[in-house]
Amino acid sequence: MGGSSGSFALFEEIIKLVTKPLPCALIFVLHRGKSSLSELPVLFNSKTKVRMEEPQHLDLLDTNCIYFAVPDYHLLIGPDQRFYLDAAEKDFFSRPSIDATFISAAQSGIPIKAAMLFSGASEDGAKGIRQIAEAGFRTYVQNPDFAEAQKMPLAAIDAYDKHQILNEENLFEEIRSILYSHST
Amino acid sequence: MIVLEYQELELLIVRVREISGFDFSGYARPSLLRRAARYLTKHAMSLSELIVHLEQGGKVVYDFIQELTVNYSEMFRDPDFFISLRSEVISYLESFPAIRIWVAGCASGEEAFSMAILLKETGLYNRSLIYATDLSERVLSSAREGIFSLGHMRTFSENYLLAEGKYSLSDYYHVAYGQAVMVPDLRKNLVFSLHDLTGDGVFNEFQMVSCRNVMIYFNLEQRQKVFRLLYESLAMFGFLCLGKRETLRYSGYEEHFRVIDTRLNIYQKIK
Repeated sequence: MGGSSGSFALFEEIIKLVTKPLPCALIFVLHRGKSSLSELPVLFNSKTKVRMEEPQHLDLLDTNCIYFAVPDYHLLIGPDQRFYLDAAEKDFFSRPSIDATFISAAQSGIPIKAAMLFSGASEDGAKGIRQIAEAGFRTYVQNPDFAEAQKMPLAAIDAYDKHQILNEENLFEEIRSILYSHST
Repeated sequence: MIVLEYQELELLIVRVREISGFDFSGYARPSLLRRAARYLTKHAMSLSELIVHLEQGGKVVYDFIQELTVNYSEMFRDPDFFISLRSEVISYLESFPAIRIWVAGCASGEEAFSMAILLKETGLYNRSLIYATDLSERVLSSAREGIFSLGHMRTFSENYLLAEGKYSLSDYYHVAYGQAVMVPDLRKNLVFSLHDLTGDGVFNEFQMVSCRNVMIYFNLEQRQKVFRLLYESLAMFGFLCLGKRETLRYSGYEEHFRVIDTRLNIYQKIK
């Protein structure tokens, strides 16, 4: 799941949906300032009982775990099911970049249950989520009409018009059913 | 945007090794894939065109290797790291009559100059020698010149203040032709030289090694080899500094170090 400005509160709500063990890994990429010290697993500690981590370089990707990309590094996923950190240049002035994570996931060969893109004020993520869709996985974009910042979901829909749209009224039910579905 | 597949990347790694002798095989594949794809996109080139260019030799080979290996850095990157060095490490270093420090993977010298300034402000610079190494002759020659853009200097100055620098960063450079030139005094105990962490060995014994944001370039096996090299390059009770998000996990050397700063990944060799 990727997002930027306006996505933090949504992510918090999504984490609250995780009330029982997850059949998949759930990875959040949220644009944050490099000096942002708050650790999201600590911040969200009371919202779920499922394990939360900020993955380190070469950590193995586990199911039933929620991961958060750390500030100032891109978070990549390798074919060996490990996380890789990368301090190369920013995409859309962002590190972590959502595109970087999405594209690496699409290329890793690891089955992706779904990719989702939410509110944000940059075009990061559009390329990546398109690549995941073209690899045959399910992709969802928040309806720009009710996104706090429209640019990110709009850019994704502009780049590829076959993403499924997440509407305000059933957003959380839908996400919950995707998280706990057993297909990929 | 050009998409590159992992199999194509393996082919590319083999061709680069045959052409230039430079061996990427120990590098983390996901990062290489991303960087190689970005290189192709930036130069509007297909993989086969790139290989043809590489085979013709010359500048493009170095360009490509540089693009895939360059370590972006800042002076006083992670300011709290320098605060921690000052409070936790400097007093140990003071006990040595001569202090040797290795900045491994120094790129254009930002970290090395920061280290020189820190040592100067703690009164240790005159008996210190900083070896700063990188695998790219091109970035080293820029580091030797000690010239940085004024735009970057603004960020570096903010970092310097956050790192509790004693003066102003501008005391350490002068401006010429719109660029910042580090003062010669700062460069006198600073040696920049060529060293490839994946191929070259131990070349001295150090009281401190700073190798920040370099380990994330390597895959698991190569990373273990580099950890061995750093371990063997450290004097007993010497310090190892890793990047803010790099730990000794999977290094094979967890038992040989004690943690000085958990958050900033400063370690001391204890056996």
